[in-house]
Amino acid sequence: MEQRNITSRLAGRDAVTGETPPDVRFIRVPSIAERKLGADYVAPMRLDPRVLDQMQSTIRTLETKYAEALSAQISMLQLLVEPSAKGDTEARSRLYSLSHDMRGLAGTFGFPLVGRFADSLCRYIEHCDDEDWRDGSVLRFHVDAIRDAIDNPGTDPAITMETLNALERLIKATRGNRKMAG
Amino acid sequence: MTESVFGKISVLVVDDSAYMRHLLMTLLQAVGVGEVHLAINGEEAWELLNTKEPDIVITDAAMVPGDGFMFAKRLRSLRGRALGMIPIIMVSGHTDLESVERARDIGITEFLSKPISARGLYERLIQVIDRPRTFVETPTYRGPDRRRRDTPFKGEDRRGSVALL
Repeated sequence: MEQRNITSRLAGRDAVTGETPPDVRFIRVPSIAERKLGADYVAPMRLDPRVLDQMQSTIRTLETKYAEALSAQISMLQLLVEPSAKGDTEARSRLYSLSHDMRGLAGTFGFPLVGRFADSLCRYIEHCDDEDWRDGSVLRFHVDAIRDAIDNPGTDPAITMETLNALERLIKATRGNRKMAG
Repeated sequence: MTESVFGKISVLVVDDSAYMRHLLMTLLQAVGVGEVHLAINGEEAWELLNTKEPDIVITDAAMVPGDGFMFAKRLRSLRGRALGMIPIIMVSGHTDLESVERARDIGITEFLSKPISARGLYERLIQVIDRPRTFVETPTYRGPDRRRRDTPFKGEDRRGSVALL
């Protein structure tokens, strides 16, 4: 391993030495802990298991509320598929926004399958053109998979993987067919 | 010691999802963070910086108007102000290599992928609070040193001189 010799210097122009090109500066920033605690600072800071417990218990407290909200959001997703397929841009934007929320939050609150299907849906929407929206079948299958994931949380992971792969194949096939037709 | 540091810091959370804002705020409060400020997008966060000067920014990547990348870029462009060197933790569901590299090249300090975990957030907080990386300023990049590993590399090592802020 290469040894690196770093000489700390005072800030400002004086800090730039002859070897360093004048347009490149490396600045050592004092740690926030050092700044805030001053003489009380003892390095290094370590992860405190009690604090971690506290954080995890906070997540558990929020889980029940989230589960209720998630169920309502999924019902909303189901309602949004049809208007989205008919060209309603507001419905499309709402559908993406809801699935984006699920992608980010469901896994944290103990619904990893919902999170994975929502992630797949988001990635699909991010590359959706108007024809994809109007076709609507891939959207519908995703939303059904999300509904199923919350209704049957104990689903065999192998089945989940197979469903995700099937959705992936469906996306490729739908887009492939259109390319050939076009 | 840990609690006393957290009690003295303020964190700005920028996320367009109300749930995510609430989750992050509650988790930060559980850690003992003294002040948590919330903004719903990059534009609102920018406005908020007129009156607040947080110690850490936690921002989502995808937001409208003013996404996390744009917001981080604006922050990093603040030369001559401590705010320009503020640690930025980017929280994102886009975990592909391209997005992570984009975040790195814009000067993001830490990347936290969604779904977030308590441990993931806590570890990144400790990282930015206690182990700051050397800050680099070049004509094309401004942000923490992107080389995290001290491994040999080809080319000139320009890290020989480090200014102390």
